[in-house]
Amino acid sequence: MKLLRRTLIATAALVALGAQAAATVGQPAPDFTLKDTSGKTVRLSDFKGKHVVLEWTNPGCPFVRKHYDSGNMPATQKEATGKGVVWLSINSTEKASSDYLEPAKLMAWKQERKSAPTAVLMDEEGTVGKSYGARTTPHLYIVNPQGVLVYAGGIDSIPSARPADIEKATNYVKVGLAEALAGKPISAATTAPYGCSIKYKS
Amino acid sequence: MVAPEPNPPYPLPHCTMPSRPLHRLAVTLFLIAASALWTGANAQFSSKTTGQGTSVVTTPYVRAELLAHAPQGVAPGQPLWLGLSITHQPEWHTYWKNPGDSGLPTDLAWTLPAGLDAGEIAWPLPKKIPIGTLANYGYDGTVLLPVPVTVASTYAPGPLAKDATIKLRASWLVCRKECIPEEGEFTLQLPIQSTTALSGAAFEAASKAHPRPVLAGTNGIVPDSQAQLAAEGNTLNVSVQGLPVALRGKTLDLFPETAEVIDNAAQWKQAWNGSVWTAQIPLSTQRSASPSLMPVVLAEQSAAHGTGPDTRTGYRAELKVLGTWPQGASVAAVSPALEAALKANAAQAGGAATPAAGSGASSLTLTAALLGALLGGLILNLMPCVFPVLAIKVVGFTQHAQDRRAHRVSGIAYTAGVVLSFIALGALMLGLRAAGEAVGWGFQLQSPAVVASLAALFTLIALNLAGVFEFGHFLPSSVASLQARHPVADSFLTGVLTVAVASPCTAPFMGASLGLTATLPAPQALAVFAALGLGLALPYLAASFVPAVARALPRPGAWMDTFRKLMAFPMLATVVWLVWVLGQQSGIDGAGALLILLVGLSLVVWALSLAGRARVWMATVSIAAMALLVWAFAPHVTHIPTAQAATSSPQVSATGWQPWAPGAAEQIVAGGRPVFVDFTAAWCVTCQYNKKTTLADANVLSDLQAKNVALLRADWTRRDPAITAALASLGRSGVPVYVFYRPGKPPVVLTEVLSVDEVRATISQL
Repeated sequence: MKLLRRTLIATAALVALGAQAAATVGQPAPDFTLKDTSGKTVRLSDFKGKHVVLEWTNPGCPFVRKHYDSGNMPATQKEATGKGVVWLSINSTEKASSDYLEPAKLMAWKQERKSAPTAVLMDEEGTVGKSYGARTTPHLYIVNPQGVLVYAGGIDSIPSARPADIEKATNYVKVGLAEALAGKPISAATTAPYGCSIKYKS
Repeated sequence: MVAPEPNPPYPLPHCTMPSRPLHRLAVTLFLIAASALWTGANAQFSSKTTGQGTSVVTTPYVRAELLAHAPQGVAPGQPLWLGLSITHQPEWHTYWKNPGDSGLPTDLAWTLPAGLDAGEIAWPLPKKIPIGTLANYGYDGTVLLPVPVTVASTYAPGPLAKDATIKLRASWLVCRKECIPEEGEFTLQLPIQSTTALSGAAFEAASKAHPRPVLAGTNGIVPDSQAQLAAEGNTLNVSVQGLPVALRGKTLDLFPETAEVIDNAAQWKQAWNGSVWTAQIPLSTQRSASPSLMPVVLAEQSAAHGTGPDTRTGYRAELKVLGTWPQGASVAAVSPALEAALKANAAQAGGAATPAAGSGASSLTLTAALLGALLGGLILNLMPCVFPVLAIKVVGFTQHAQDRRAHRVSGIAYTAGVVLSFIALGALMLGLRAAGEAVGWGFQLQSPAVVASLAALFTLIALNLAGVFEFGHFLPSSVASLQARHPVADSFLTGVLTVAVASPCTAPFMGASLGLTATLPAPQALAVFAALGLGLALPYLAASFVPAVARALPRPGAWMDTFRKLMAFPMLATVVWLVWVLGQQSGIDGAGALLILLVGLSLVVWALSLAGRARVWMATVSIAAMALLVWAFAPHVTHIPTAQAATSSPQVSATGWQPWAPGAAEQIVAGGRPVFVDFTAAWCVTCQYNKKTTLADANVLSDLQAKNVALLRADWTRRDPAITAALASLGRSGVPVYVFYRPGKPPVVLTEVLSVDEVRATISQL
């Protein structure tokens, strides 16, 4: 019995490791199940048939604040969901981090900034973040209706914490979604994400 | 946290959203305490602040200061460095040019007076900062980010201007686990006429911390460093050539200058294959760059968060990427632009692979080195420092003109003497090097004692040739008859003598071969030394085996005695040269002392050659006198005066040459100016020849001046570990070496025997 359990754990660990290496643009996006801020379970595979944006977030990070306080991220979300795209904001900050916000506080922070994602998901264990190779906040991914990862990278083209740079930058997510929705390949499918390190549970 | 907070003013005072009043109070208290501390620090630097601005910005996490280094003031052609010095609070760090998995490189935006032009940051070697499953590249403690500034010839500050106003807007991201983007405005009034050099040491340290280029591929002797994409497409197989010997066998850190290519935090394997460092580096699964050239910086791996000063030296290699970057997507089709770029990459890599395929790698280079060494050895016969010894050999040769068997035996013995001596010297050099001594070829002559001994030996040979004494007069008859009774031993010893004298003449072709020995496994290195010896002995060996050559030699006769005495003069000329070399090392006192000792030695030898009663008296007196002379003067010979550099430098600068110093070339090149370095030594005949001919050529000098090339001379006459290290980094172990350093390109190493055409052709490409 004990041996069986150990084997199962080891297998699970291996699967997790395999998944971690697998998040590559052009490959199937790793499926996941997470709870949203209200405790409801959300699965990625529930959204098959739709484009899904995954956005790693952490209100404690100045780069995230750059895009929320300026209204850039909420506007990008609104435009996307308005076109039938699913937007999932994921917080992989570990509970022990000083940046960690409880689900209700996280939701309140988002609502204050008129953020309108489909759901805000809690990933305190960091397993989903690691399986996607998410490194920074923000770090964005686009999954196509077939469940294939078609974009991984930054929110835009100017890596800085200066809100004034937003209007000069190319918003990769907006451009990528427009191309994907028009049935065209995404021209910049992998870009450099920039921001704070994700505070993963070690 | 409920009330909407206004946008925090930039720079943001803190990162974590203060969610509790207590937390906010703690932060406030910390800020007050910190600013109180910094006020003290500011006061200390108040002399540098002006009414218009400050050169110091302090935050709770860093203290940043704008520094300048202008030893000659602000004037065209003079060195001018600006830099931002960042002192981090413990545990906090800022980032390198490639910040790694997160973070941002520090950004400097300058506002300078017209005519001043700031270059790129000369980034010092970073540290790898692991954060869980991620890794960053950056700096903790204190780091200076230096920027070279060129002053245009049109720079005209106006007759009344005293200072140049330097303005800097710097932005940096400082992180522990949390990150704070910060920004600062700095102002500095830089005196135009007077010296600003208070931060000279900091800039020098930063220049030392700037990675040095490894030797780029030259003449097929050193192949290119490469990054071969593995067939599975998820690994880069890196091989780096031309790293310094000191790193051999050590575990290295790799810092890619290109972001978003490798998996920064992954574990990877590395190995040393002789002089070549190899590693298998996993690629990032979300790689967004596909470069055809990947510059990387390598340095010895340091203990994580090690304390104490950072003694690592970084080396920069430009890896040629071979193979095709994997195209990530089957479904997510690639954009036409990206596809075109990938195709271009593939074509480039394919083109590059063709010449690379022909390189049988190390076996080819070893063959080339052996051939080069053989050829170099042959040419050594013509060198002025070998020719006199060969002359003795010719005298001996004619003595055995009738006996062909004796010829062959003595030819083989001579060859054995030469080859074995070369191997012994080579083994000694490799042994010393393995023991950590910084030595290179010609190192024997860096010791005044060895130079003095050689001078004594040549004086004795000259006196003997001139007929002042015969060995039989004062040596026990058994030893004296050695030459007569054992021609084989005699030939062998002549071979040894030839090597002793020939070794400093680093002839053409030899430099590269000898440099290679420093990067080859020991058996192969010794084979190169043996080939060199064989080349040197070959003409004599051929003459002893081919009767036609022997027959061509003149018959023995009375002319032989005349010829022998004539040969005493080249010997004496060699003594003069050795005394001059010693003069470079020990000064005029040392040279004088050596001369008086040589006179004493001659007196002793002459006294011993006398007969009867006179011999007893004269020998006793002269030996006593010699003992006194040795006691009084020998210390002068080996004494190396420390202040000598100061006396020689005015002479140096008068001819436009500046003395070389470690990092000086890199510093000037970073300022956008090409540099020509002459690695030379007084005892190196080839060096002296080049110096008096090509390097004194009017056309060469005017070309150098036209391209504004800085001239540096590195004098290796005495032992200097810094120069030895610089030679090693160029893949050489002896002088002469002539190098052009160019901004943004690998250095060009010229041939040992410089031709005017070659130098001018290289200058025209600068």
